[in-house]
Amino acid sequence: MWSYFSNPQRFDGLARRVIPVLGIVTLLLLAAGLWLSFFASPPDYQQGETIRIMYVHVPAAYMAMAIYAALAGASFVYFVWRHSLADAAAEVMAPIGAVFTVLALITGSLWGKPMWGTWWEWDARMTSVLVLLLVYLGYMALRSALEDAQQAARAAAVLAMAGVVNLVIVKFSVDWWSSLHQPASVIRFDGPTIHSSQLWPLGVMALAYTGLAAWLVFYRLRTRTLVQKARQIERRRLREARQTQGEPGDLA
Amino acid sequence: MTGMGAIFWREVRLAWAGGGGPAGPAAFFLAAITLAPLAIGPDPDLLAAAGPGLMAFAALLSVLQSAERLYGEDFADGTLDLYALLPLGLPLLSLAKTLGQGVATLWPLPFIALLGGLMYGVPPLPSLMLAAAMAAAIPALVLLAGFAGALAAGVRRGGLLIALIATPMMVPVLIFAAGAGRAGFEGDERALANLGLTAAVSLGTIALAPFGIAAAIRSRLG
Repeated sequence: MWSYFSNPQRFDGLARRVIPVLGIVTLLLLAAGLWLSFFASPPDYQQGETIRIMYVHVPAAYMAMAIYAALAGASFVYFVWRHSLADAAAEVMAPIGAVFTVLALITGSLWGKPMWGTWWEWDARMTSVLVLLLVYLGYMALRSALEDAQQAARAAAVLAMAGVVNLVIVKFSVDWWSSLHQPASVIRFDGPTIHSSQLWPLGVMALAYTGLAAWLVFYRLRTRTLVQKARQIERRRLREARQTQGEPGDLA
Repeated sequence: MTGMGAIFWREVRLAWAGGGGPAGPAAFFLAAITLAPLAIGPDPDLLAAAGPGLMAFAALLSVLQSAERLYGEDFADGTLDLYALLPLGLPLLSLAKTLGQGVATLWPLPFIALLGGLMYGVPPLPSLMLAAAMAAAIPALVLLAGFAGALAAGVRRGGLLIALIATPMMVPVLIFAAGAGRAGFEGDERALANLGLTAAVSLGTIALAPFGIAAAIRSRLG
């Protein structure tokens, strides 16, 4: 299947149809999710109205991690099968994932102020999300530092795959680290104990965020392949123009 | 095995050739732990509590400081291209090379950490624990720095890149090594567990990082 859609033309055909559909679905889900979370759900019995921050915060944190997983998966596909489209996908996902990570950190901080009385707490989860942001930044820095496109693609793939191993160990070690302090007074939401009136808006918002991320990835990926195609055409035209003029010193 | 030995000793000799080369990271470490009390104040209780963490952090920075040289020079002069042709294979080769440079330049760190711990007012036994943790952490630190160095080899202003790539990877080692010293100071029984975890991360890195470094080198040789 990967080989099938790694043909740029076939991908373009697919993307042209997928992008508008994803866009419409995402907008509908976002509208429904925002209405559910801000108007149609009750305030929490403990946290009051601030619970509504959860509906924009938790999906952002989930997307930050899910996009990294997708990025690493695409890198693996590129590394093993050398499909350049997989590499392009990894490249366009990185800034999107980084933005979701920043969003998760900011909304988390806004939630932390009324809940814990502090904008920032060095607790295990927040710290590992901050490390995830560093991983995203390192990945983008490496890509932009290497001038040779193929070198950049391969080196970035190696880094993205190493990042998966690293993030798992970071998660474990940061838990251990924060257990050396006194346990943070975090109000925990263990999946099943959450009330269904809160689960609905959260679920819809999670779907909306997923749709948004997929939409952005497809959009950027299509733009990127189109830009590449345009550059190719431009280069070919320049070459042909030079050949018809019979310009000396033409290497092509 | 002889190939690995040759690479190892080449790195050691290179590090020691030309005067003060091997003293670089050690001098950086010494300077950092000398300046830290000037920054955070001379209060003995504060220094003893912060000392173990500070020293683990300073060790991480001094390893980072020398990471650019690890693969940069061999990349620039073409040695890496020749290395890639050796029958030994890049993973074993990079293990020998990285550990060779690490051993040659970083061996004073545990001793300085022991002395530094005592000077910060950390009792002798926790200081020893800190020094042991540092010795256990060095293989992981130097291999992770080597991975970042191999990815960024020959890049102009690679220092920033190495710092961004290596620091997230060094988080676990830092936590466990500093944790051993801190828990030791607080009389917590978790000091030994932290020391064991530091050694575990180091062994895991020795097992995995050479393959990462080899893949990084290959991706850069194109």
